[in-house]
Amino acid sequence: MAVADADTARPAARAPNEVKERVEWRLVTPLGLTYMAFFAAPLLLLLWVSFYEDNELTTFGPGQWIKFLSDPFYVGVVWRTVALGIATVLAATLLAYPLALVFYAASPGVRRLLLFIVVLPLLTSVVVRTFAWIAILSREGVVNNTLMWLRLTAAPVPLLQTQHGLIIALMQIEMPLMLLPLLAVVQGIDRSLVEASRSLGGSHWRTFFKVLLPLSVPGWIAGATLVFASATTAFISQSVIGGGRLVYLPSVIWQQAMVISNWPFAAVASVLLLVAVLTGILALNAISRLIDTHGN
Amino acid sequence: MNCHRLDRRQLMAGAAVLGGVSLLGQPAHAKGTVTAAIYPGNWDEQYRSIVAPALKEAHDIDLALEPLFAVDQVAKVVAARGVAPFDCFVLDPGPRVTAIERGLFEPFDGKQLTNAAKLPAGFVDNWGSAVNAQIVGIAYNPKKLPKPKGWKDLFQEPYVSRLGLTGFQTTFGTVSLIEMAKVFGGSETNVEPIFAEIKKILPRIAAVTPPAALPSLFQQGQIDVTYTNTNNIDSLRARGVDIELAIPETGAITFVTTLHITKGAENKENAYKYIDTAISAPVQEALLKSPAVLLPVHKDVPLTANLPIKSLDELSKFVAHDWSKINPQRPGWIERFNKEVTK
Repeated sequence: MAVADADTARPAARAPNEVKERVEWRLVTPLGLTYMAFFAAPLLLLLWVSFYEDNELTTFGPGQWIKFLSDPFYVGVVWRTVALGIATVLAATLLAYPLALVFYAASPGVRRLLLFIVVLPLLTSVVVRTFAWIAILSREGVVNNTLMWLRLTAAPVPLLQTQHGLIIALMQIEMPLMLLPLLAVVQGIDRSLVEASRSLGGSHWRTFFKVLLPLSVPGWIAGATLVFASATTAFISQSVIGGGRLVYLPSVIWQQAMVISNWPFAAVASVLLLVAVLTGILALNAISRLIDTHGN
Repeated sequence: MNCHRLDRRQLMAGAAVLGGVSLLGQPAHAKGTVTAAIYPGNWDEQYRSIVAPALKEAHDIDLALEPLFAVDQVAKVVAARGVAPFDCFVLDPGPRVTAIERGLFEPFDGKQLTNAAKLPAGFVDNWGSAVNAQIVGIAYNPKKLPKPKGWKDLFQEPYVSRLGLTGFQTTFGTVSLIEMAKVFGGSETNVEPIFAEIKKILPRIAAVTPPAALPSLFQQGQIDVTYTNTNNIDSLRARGVDIELAIPETGAITFVTTLHITKGAENKENAYKYIDTAISAPVQEALLKSPAVLLPVHKDVPLTANLPIKSLDELSKFVAHDWSKINPQRPGWIERFNKEVTK
């Protein structure tokens, strides 16, 4: 209400607004300082360590960066990690939207039930969910046994330790992160807008593309951001489901930091993983702004 | 104001009560504690249920266990920069050499162990004490595959299409791949032949996997043959998995797992007592009979019938490796393995 009042009487409200801004800054100080101490400072330290040439952190230089960026294998690992994030976002989107539409049309009781089902996987650890996928995707797992029982295939289909198997597993593991923001936004869409579109002759598809989709985009952007960031950094799922033949940045970081003790190289990989995730998030924000501008 | 004064008095009274309780509590408390790193899973479970009560009973010392893999222990102590995060390490030979090179151990005095004389010669040195022996060989599913004779078999049918391959990150992975390289003309320091052989079979093998996922993949039938240590095999068998050890014709591989005192450890004396308890005959016997089947190093412990050795002396006939030669090359091998197997 205070904001609305200030908006209607803008010139007179300038002084109270200034006071309000100062108060807001003070309120975020504890969180700001915590972030500075426990996020920004370690991040700078990480960047600092990446510019050492040797494991013992004695010689300063860009050697580890040159080694990483001049090796096609490691550059390929960065691209593969980003591609995995994009593929997981696309797969999760394809399955999340139909559910979001069902949720939109459902009664409050059914909505509560759907929300409970969506949240349910979050109650088990991501490690448990990942290992459960071994039981589902393995040679003698649920999927292969069903396919062979239905005589759709004579021999087990390779699912585990393949990129498509990993994307399927990640899509399910990360699905709540896509659905929760999407459903929250869909829930708030005014039903009269859809009814207006339908009564003016808009088909189901046209109503979806012209009304529901643009209005739900903020929820999708939030969900896609979370899924992208989580899928690209999902060390356990990538190692266990993807296996040793699909190398992504998190496993390079683990090997270099823990097994080989080459901290500078691990720091280079960590900084690049951060850059990759931030680039993805910035790209999604750009899409969001583009749609806003287009819509306006 | 009155209210504030009352608060302060209450605070003082509360502090006095707490102080009193802590003073009263001390005589009833154990003689002290010791914090020891331990391998997660089997080792953690058995040390918690066997070693901790034995240490409490013998020396009135509370054992706090911190589950960490060998490389994680080394990384944690290096990162702590002189402030020991735990009093004792448990390590395999590779990480042990790394830790010695990085100066992470206190010098070890074997005379402080009452059981030292009961261990084979060389098992207690200036850096620590052996605590359990490990044997590495080929693990296979006897219901699906005939018993393999040697490392070369893994590269042929029917084994190759059921093979689970793991790289140089672990001790058992490294020594197994070295032994395979030897069969194809390589040596402890030349593993080139194994990379050439892996390249040939790569499209046919069942899985290339990080070591942590090996047991689950075996249990789920994704792989039916791999290489690992005896206590991994025994713990899977205890869970009802069809798995047996095959000793290659070139010999099984052996190495000892060792305990060490961390540089700057808070509870050095208690650490010696912990190590002495862990290598004592009753504890070693209980660890051998536990589901983890940890092979003893104490000479008086009778070996059970189903073990691949009948006496500790047999270990000397098995294949051992010089980790001071392996360690400098290992980072390169790990990187090479990644590049060779990546799709």
